[in-house]
Amino acid sequence: MSAALINVDDPDAMEPTLQSILDQRSLRWIFVGGKGGVGKTTTSCSLAIQLAKVRRSVLLISTDPAHNLSDAFSQKFGKEARLIDGFDNLSAMEIDPNGSIQDLLAGQGEADSGMGDMGGMGGMMQDLAFAIPGIDEAMSFAEVLKQVKSLSYETIIFDTAPTGHTLRFLQFPSVLEKALAKVSQLSNQYGPLLNGFLGSNGTLPNGQNLGEMMEKLEALRATISEVNTQFKDERLTTFVCVCIPEFLSLYETERMIQELASYGIDTHTIVVNQLLFPKPGSDCEQCTARRRMQKKYLDQIEELYDEFNVVKMPLLVEEVRGKERLEKFSEMLVKPFVPPS
Amino acid sequence: MPSLLVVIFVVELVVQLINTIGAATINSLIWRLYLALPTPLAGQFADQRKKQKEYLVVRHELNATSSQDEFAKWAKLRRQHDKLLDELEKKKSSLEAYRTKFDRYLTATRLISTRGVQWVLPWWYGKQPMFWLPYGWFPYYVEWFASFPRAPLGSVSIVVWQWACTAVLALVMEAALGVMGLITASRQAQRQKQPVPAAGAGAGKGGESKKNL
Repeated sequence: MSAALINVDDPDAMEPTLQSILDQRSLRWIFVGGKGGVGKTTTSCSLAIQLAKVRRSVLLISTDPAHNLSDAFSQKFGKEARLIDGFDNLSAMEIDPNGSIQDLLAGQGEADSGMGDMGGMGGMMQDLAFAIPGIDEAMSFAEVLKQVKSLSYETIIFDTAPTGHTLRFLQFPSVLEKALAKVSQLSNQYGPLLNGFLGSNGTLPNGQNLGEMMEKLEALRATISEVNTQFKDERLTTFVCVCIPEFLSLYETERMIQELASYGIDTHTIVVNQLLFPKPGSDCEQCTARRRMQKKYLDQIEELYDEFNVVKMPLLVEEVRGKERLEKFSEMLVKPFVPPS
Repeated sequence: MPSLLVVIFVVELVVQLINTIGAATINSLIWRLYLALPTPLAGQFADQRKKQKEYLVVRHELNATSSQDEFAKWAKLRRQHDKLLDELEKKKSSLEAYRTKFDRYLTATRLISTRGVQWVLPWWYGKQPMFWLPYGWFPYYVEWFASFPRAPLGSVSIVVWQWACTAVLALVMEAALGVMGLITASRQAQRQKQPVPAAGAGAGKGGESKKNL
């Protein structure tokens, strides 16, 4: 009803709600991203709650190393998907981008523990793996996708780490391709020399095989590039930008939207969070001043992102934590907030 | 076909000219002439220049716009700026590739038509006399040297004719360059002298006498 009220003067304007995401049944991956402290976790939790009402099963994943899902729902989550208390089709999990690569390397170490501490090249795989930018995120995504594929969730929401970190892995296939080309060029050039040291079958001192290692990297690249094609499909994936009406946040959002466009990832929703709506007759000087500033940036957002669903969320007087408050907050994602008049 | 004597002389002249002017200068001159022709490539270059101008305008506007006060306008300009820059960069590399290719062809053609001819002609006409020396005017060793390496004794061989041309042309070139250098140097000295009004009559005389030198 209120949506109709707001849109009554301009039927062409994009709805100021996330309804379009709820309606788009084909969506499988939804990313929620933005600068730190703008309310990504709150938004993603709220979106998850709303989605859970219209989907069979929803999974909420946090890739932020500073895990806030546990805080938001006052419930401990781990690396395994776990139902959130009070829901029967909404699960959550927290993954540590650094953790999964460590696990993988640890597994590698155990497998050839017999020769693990021989020579100075034991850490070669490790060094190589860490040298590739974004590999930690990419590995954790690969891991998640492997798990998620077997779990058959209808929609998966990612609560991502602050801006720059999130997107790096999307360049991963091309970066890895370049890295692989470099490595194979090196191994071609110095192969004979290396083989002289390593013996005829190219075994590294820690029991790894050069060719095997290349194969592993190649397999990884294939996985990630498959993920990429999924993420670049606008029917399957969308990105929700969260920002607050302040210059730096806006600037980051614009940059992020451009970057996403360059990766070919669909984004058509912006959540503008923490809007101040002082009560009429309020004599809070700071509030009115801030309100004026927010108004300025809100106007700019409306002008710049006229093809986006711009959702306006108010700043509440309480912290949005716990199921009830999140549910209440999430209502405003679909029914625009009407400031008290 | 013109006389072999003339051909050899012309080839040597061209080589000398190229050496003096510089291959790179000639290449860029021909490149500019080539672009002046109404080819599709020239059109592309004109486009590139137009885009560059457009880009500069956008950049100027972007710098004049406050990102904090007019974020929407600024961001739109920024998008345009980034897009133009991207296009320019992309185009630039392909155009430069054209240029490199053009240079390569030109260099190859030049080498074949100068160095190639320089080697092939003496080899091909090695046994033919260019012209005969008057009989009995020169001692044997001069005749032997003039017909070096394969021409009949008593004649001037193509190789020797080539040497002679090169030597004379080099001398003439050097002399011409020296004269030109002298002229420019004296002009420069004059220009340097002139704007000093405080210089006395004696100094002026000194300058004149130097110029006369």
